[in-house]
Amino acid sequence: MRLLDPSGLEALRVALAGAPAPKRRLWVCGGPGCLASGAAKIQAALAAEVKAKGLGDGVGLRTDLTGCLGLCEMGPMVGVEPEGYLYGNVTVEDCRELVSETLLAGLPVGRLLANPDNPTRSEQPFYQSQTQLITKRFGKTIPGSIEDYLKTGGYAALGLAISKLGPLGVAERVEASGLRGRGGGGFPAGRKWASCRLAPGTAKYVLANGDEGDPGAFMNRSLMEGDPFSIIEGMTLGAYAVGASRGFIYVRHEYPISVERLDGAIKEAEKMGLLGHNILGSGFSFNLSTVEGGGAFVCGESTALMASIEGREGQPRVKYVRSTEKGLWDCPTLLQNVETWANVPIIVERGPEWFKSKGTKDNPGTKVFCLVGQVKYSGLIEMPLGSPIRTLVFGVGGGTKPGRRFKAVQIGGPSGGCLPYSALDLPLDFDSLSKAGAIMGSGGLIVMDDISCVVDVARYFTGFLMGESCGKCAPCREGLTLIYRILDDLCQGRGREGDSAVLEKLATNLARTALCGLGQSAGNPLLSTMRHFGEEYLEHELEGFCRSGRCQGLFWPDINPNLCVGCGSCLAACPTRVISGQKKEPHRIDLTGCVSCGSCIAICRFGAAKAIRKGGSQAARQADHQADLADPSKDAPKTNNIPTPQSVTKDPTQPAPKGGGQAGA
Amino acid sequence: MSQAITKVTGTIDGRGFSVPIGTTLLEAAKSLGLTIPTLCHHPGLPADGNCRLCLVETGGKLVASCLFPLRTDGEAILTQSPMVLEARAFTVRLLLSRAPEDPRLLELAREYGTGPDPRLADGADGCLRCGLCVRACRASGTEAIALVGRGRERKVTGPFFEPPIDCVGCLACARVCPTGFIDFSELPRSIWGRDFDLRPCPQCGRPVGTPEELRRAGVENPLCPSCRRLSYSRSLMGLPEASFSNPGER
Ligand SMILES: Cc1cc2nc3c(=O)[nH]c(=O)nc-3n(C[C@H](O)[C@H](O)[C@H](O)COP(=O)(O)O)c2cc1C
Ligand code: SF4
Ligand code: FES
Repeated sequence: MRLLDPSGLEALRVALAGAPAPKRRLWVCGGPGCLASGAAKIQAALAAEVKAKGLGDGVGLRTDLTGCLGLCEMGPMVGVEPEGYLYGNVTVEDCRELVSETLLAGLPVGRLLANPDNPTRSEQPFYQSQTQLITKRFGKTIPGSIEDYLKTGGYAALGLAISKLGPLGVAERVEASGLRGRGGGGFPAGRKWASCRLAPGTAKYVLANGDEGDPGAFMNRSLMEGDPFSIIEGMTLGAYAVGASRGFIYVRHEYPISVERLDGAIKEAEKMGLLGHNILGSGFSFNLSTVEGGGAFVCGESTALMASIEGREGQPRVKYVRSTEKGLWDCPTLLQNVETWANVPIIVERGPEWFKSKGTKDNPGTKVFCLVGQVKYSGLIEMPLGSPIRTLVFGVGGGTKPGRRFKAVQIGGPSGGCLPYSALDLPLDFDSLSKAGAIMGSGGLIVMDDISCVVDVARYFTGFLMGESCGKCAPCREGLTLIYRILDDLCQGRGREGDSAVLEKLATNLARTALCGLGQSAGNPLLSTMRHFGEEYLEHELEGFCRSGRCQGLFWPDINPNLCVGCGSCLAACPTRVISGQKKEPHRIDLTGCVSCGSCIAICRFGAAKAIRKGGSQAARQADHQADLADPSKDAPKTNNIPTPQSVTKDPTQPAPKGGGQAGA
Repeated sequence: MSQAITKVTGTIDGRGFSVPIGTTLLEAAKSLGLTIPTLCHHPGLPADGNCRLCLVETGGKLVASCLFPLRTDGEAILTQSPMVLEARAFTVRLLLSRAPEDPRLLELAREYGTGPDPRLADGADGCLRCGLCVRACRASGTEAIALVGRGRERKVTGPFFEPPIDCVGCLACARVCPTGFIDFSELPRSIWGRDFDLRPCPQCGRPVGTPEELRRAGVENPLCPSCRRLSYSRSLMGLPEASFSNPGER
């Protein structure tokens, strides 16, 4: 059916919203994490079971794939509507019971509940602190269904724009909203829109950046696959406002499902007359297509992205003229991140004032974050901008894993920065983060605990960026290699006096001289860890000591007899079998055969195994043991899930937490 | 109309300039008689801005003078500020790791007080990856060679790391190369591991060019430049074609 005018659209929206909802639905998470852990098989098994039981649409019971449910670590996940139960780690064998107990009878299946204490989604802290604007359809709609999109408020903004606001009205709303780019820099979207709108030229382009190259990040993918229409509607509004008639969504090469879903959604929108020629009878035409990325991190950079769409090598260009004036094929071009685009329909429909009521004055709205690393609950989270980092890491994420202390959180991807415990009360907004030496980036947070070595972390990210450097400009091409080699030397005990100072200078000059944003920001992991953990660099450089027990050969492991409960996990983990001790008695390490691999330190849940200096004195060691006992959490809080020795000896049968590794003890 | 529309004014190292709008900073500096070191720039080829040696300071930031267009009045540019000098030393040190024996780089290293970094010693092959050769090849309409690969692996090569099949043997790349990295021979003609024939001038017999490059230029059997000049002036004077008794002499 083709919609001919805004009133036809409105009528359809009202009709769809009023249509009766299915009596009960199982929503299988189709997010990236759950798809990887087998969600498609679960959906197939559920559908087969529904069919076998003779249920189906007529009965009002359904099972469908939906957008990311958030708690990715527990995938595959299944949500239940309307009861709100949330299941995790579902297997194909569970499907029969899910259909008979939950879908048919509305009863929870206890053993599958993601959080047995809080069976429903609305009771769980993970969801309670979130504000879902961008991800509001995740778990509530079928991502490829335009009916579902329309039913949940979709295209209300476009209807309003065409019937009432006009192009200028749309642009004004976006400008007044204070929306900032979600792709990293936080540049005010309104300013870009104005510049592109006013740029002379008849051919203009709107582009969406869905390249998402940060390792471990999946918020843009979740959005493209979980609510593709929101991006499409946002771009349509953008094109309408600036006067573009052609748009491209640049999707990361490794995201075939995103491409498929977006392509499908574009076709649906075209069929309805919401894309293509003469949209809703307004005389405005807009064609949109996807472009598969060039397969390199740097292709996400704006000039490289445009070169790639033009069919050339995805390599940055030096540009002192904005792309809003001279971008794709030298025409005025409006490029925004996919999440930025998804904010546009919300702003246009609800108005800038409503939007500004979320987040903070200078950082309005929400941001989708990806919380990963050493936290209890990792996954996809949407929060108002300006929420304290602590809320995310400890509130939503549940803090570090048992026995571990929080050490740092890397924010903003590989070119972001590493912030220490003392920065946890900083608000998550563009300005506060860059002031502290990190960046918002695409919104990735990687939590690290006390067995992560900051020098090693800096080496890891530098190594990633070194591999992704396009090699065009000298500072990034040669400089990143040099920085990497010095960091590698430090991690291997080959540091030379003065290396830290050399590194700092190199990173500073790299930031000033590199051609594009990749090189300009590549020094961030190094500079931020140095700024917040400078003493660890000096320990590596001057003493060849790694206090985290991570850099092999730069420490001796030591067991604090006051903290050791004799659980035996280190004994089992030691590859050279130099640890001895009776069950429930403090264990000992015979250093003569020790290779200083740190396995015992990594596995100990009680903070008893620790890295000590190789040449340290016995007295210093004992003092250290006492100090540890006095304050087992030092700078990190006690709420950090460190079990006390007492609580454990009282209950030796307590099962090991998932991944805690007591096996073989 | 008025000068304000077409000209832009500002200062470089305290000296005033007034140049047509859009002039690059490098040209403006040149017009004042100031030299800014460059490595990847050639006046006859499109600028690329990859060596980062020509960076100068304006508004607290560094910009590549070979590409930076002067568009707004009042820019106060510094070509010798501490930030600029430190950046140049940094860049020269890094580039030296690729061409540690290049006289021009060694001269720059002396000037900015730096030298090669021993931790990058393994990359020395004599090529700066400035891409002038690639741009020269493309400008002549051939596109036989390209910079291929990412990061430090990047290098100039033909397709599939083999001798470039589209190469016409014109030597443009070798002539524009600032370090003499590209091996070639003028007579007999060879470059990129390939040998080329040379077509003689029908008048004097001296080599004019390779058949491939003449085909590219759309001429089959041309005279060499000096015979062409000679025959042109003779025809202007109404004289018969010259005939050389001793081809190749002079
Ligand atoms: C090396 C590099 C990689 C980038 N990768 C991405 C990316 O994957 N996605 C993205 O949206 N922006 C990325 N950016 C930022 C873009 O250049 C651009 O600023 C952004 O897409 C603009 O959209 P926004 O204003 O809506 O954020 C990257 C920048 C650099 C320098
Ligand atoms: S900074 Fe790095 S990625 Fe960017 S142009 Fe230079 S070499 Fe390429
Ligand atoms: S001469 Fe300008 S960057 Fe190389």
